[in-house]
Amino acid sequence: MSFLAAVEASAFFTWLRESDSIGAFPTVLMLHTLGVMALGGACAALDLRILGIGLGIPLASLRRLFPIMWASFSLNLVTGIMLFCAYATSLAVMPMFFIKLALVGAGVATIVVLQRGVRHDPTAPAPTALRTVAAASLIIWTAVIMAGRLLAYIE
Amino acid sequence: MSLVNPFGNPSDVVHLHLLLNHIPTIGSIVGVGVFLVGLLRREQPMRTAALEVLFLVALATVPAYVTGGGAIAVVEHAEGTSREALGAHRDAAFVAFTVMQVTGAAAWLALWMFRRRLPAAGPVSLAAGTLAVITLALMGNVANIGGEIRHPEIGAAVAVPFPGIDAAALANSVVSHLWVWPALETLHFVGMSLSFGVLLVMNIHLLGLMPGTPFLTVHRLLPWGMLGVMLNVATGMLFFSGNIQQYMENPAFHWKVVLLVLAGLNYLYLTVVEDDWVSDSAGRIRPITRALAVSSLAVWIGILYFGRMLPYLRGVLTS
Repeated sequence: MSFLAAVEASAFFTWLRESDSIGAFPTVLMLHTLGVMALGGACAALDLRILGIGLGIPLASLRRLFPIMWASFSLNLVTGIMLFCAYATSLAVMPMFFIKLALVGAGVATIVVLQRGVRHDPTAPAPTALRTVAAASLIIWTAVIMAGRLLAYIE
Repeated sequence: MSLVNPFGNPSDVVHLHLLLNHIPTIGSIVGVGVFLVGLLRREQPMRTAALEVLFLVALATVPAYVTGGGAIAVVEHAEGTSREALGAHRDAAFVAFTVMQVTGAAAWLALWMFRRRLPAAGPVSLAAGTLAVITLALMGNVANIGGEIRHPEIGAAVAVPFPGIDAAALANSVVSHLWVWPALETLHFVGMSLSFGVLLVMNIHLLGLMPGTPFLTVHRLLPWGMLGVMLNVATGMLFFSGNIQQYMENPAFHWKVVLLVLAGLNYLYLTVVEDDWVSDSAGRIRPITRALAVSSLAVWIGILYFGRMLPYLRGVLTS
């Protein structure tokens, strides 16, 4: 805990948290939202196709979405760590924060599975196992957004 | 930094509202008229045009409604304002706005179905036309009451069609309930992601990065993007109605509405786009298509930017 307190009190994260500049905390927060929009959105479009919306779209053609998803995830990893460090001691004692982390882990796991499934299956209807993962993925990323929103409102 | 504010001072909002407030009524008359002529003459291009008009009118009703909220703050305490007419105008506008958005959504759905030659497109377009007639009646009443606010000499009766609906009270309950606000925000984020994800796939296609996949297959995803937009118009208008002054004082919100209108135009384009608009006779993708695809995504990033930065930009943009 003293380590987290030291990180939080460091010059950079103090600036990030307390600066009046919109280039500080607001911009990092905005980029974190941009990341979840692109990641969750691209994943939702893929999930819908796997669940049977727009069966004419070859699954393999949607592999273009994965670089976007991974880039967005990287953005959110970096901005997420920055946001955490700015409020480390308070976030580290919030159950909701760890629920969100667990959900993000599960969401990333679904993307890994979907990426394998899309590579191996270029034809129309997706196998049941892949459809189950797609449904789970939709629910998990929605829950991530919900947990993220709630972090701003609960203590 | 007044350069970054589309409206230099609050009374500009009143002028803009007085300009835009004609679109819902006059636009609906045009939409219904063209629709009826198309129906009688059995001409498909005319029916499509009528549906496009109705969608565009619903889109223009968003800035008309928003500037109306700003105008209330300006004229509320002015001399010669009928407070009774103002309240009735606001509540009637809230109902008419909602029905107008449903009409626009139905018109959009019919356009999407006509583009895909689905047999249900006919009945859905009839539903949209019927809704447009109801909207027209509601909007006419809103306009009538609106005239009374500053011109009581007209002596129009202030008829309140739904006395049970108090827009301010409804919006207040949204703002003050512990769980309602975060829940609506979650929906707002989900709607945004859904719209962006669908547009991502469609624009990747328009950039020529999905060779061998027909456009109409990705066109199939469009209603899910539109569902996201409708979710966000509904939740967004509840946020707005609960804090009208706070939003109207903020140039970031004005820019967000401007970008939202552009996003709506982009949705219409993606819904009705024909193959020969996208690429030339040799099958090469036109530069304008690429420009539209990139700007479509840029507009949504802009909407997110102004939405997320709204509380922080207020001080920066107005100082």
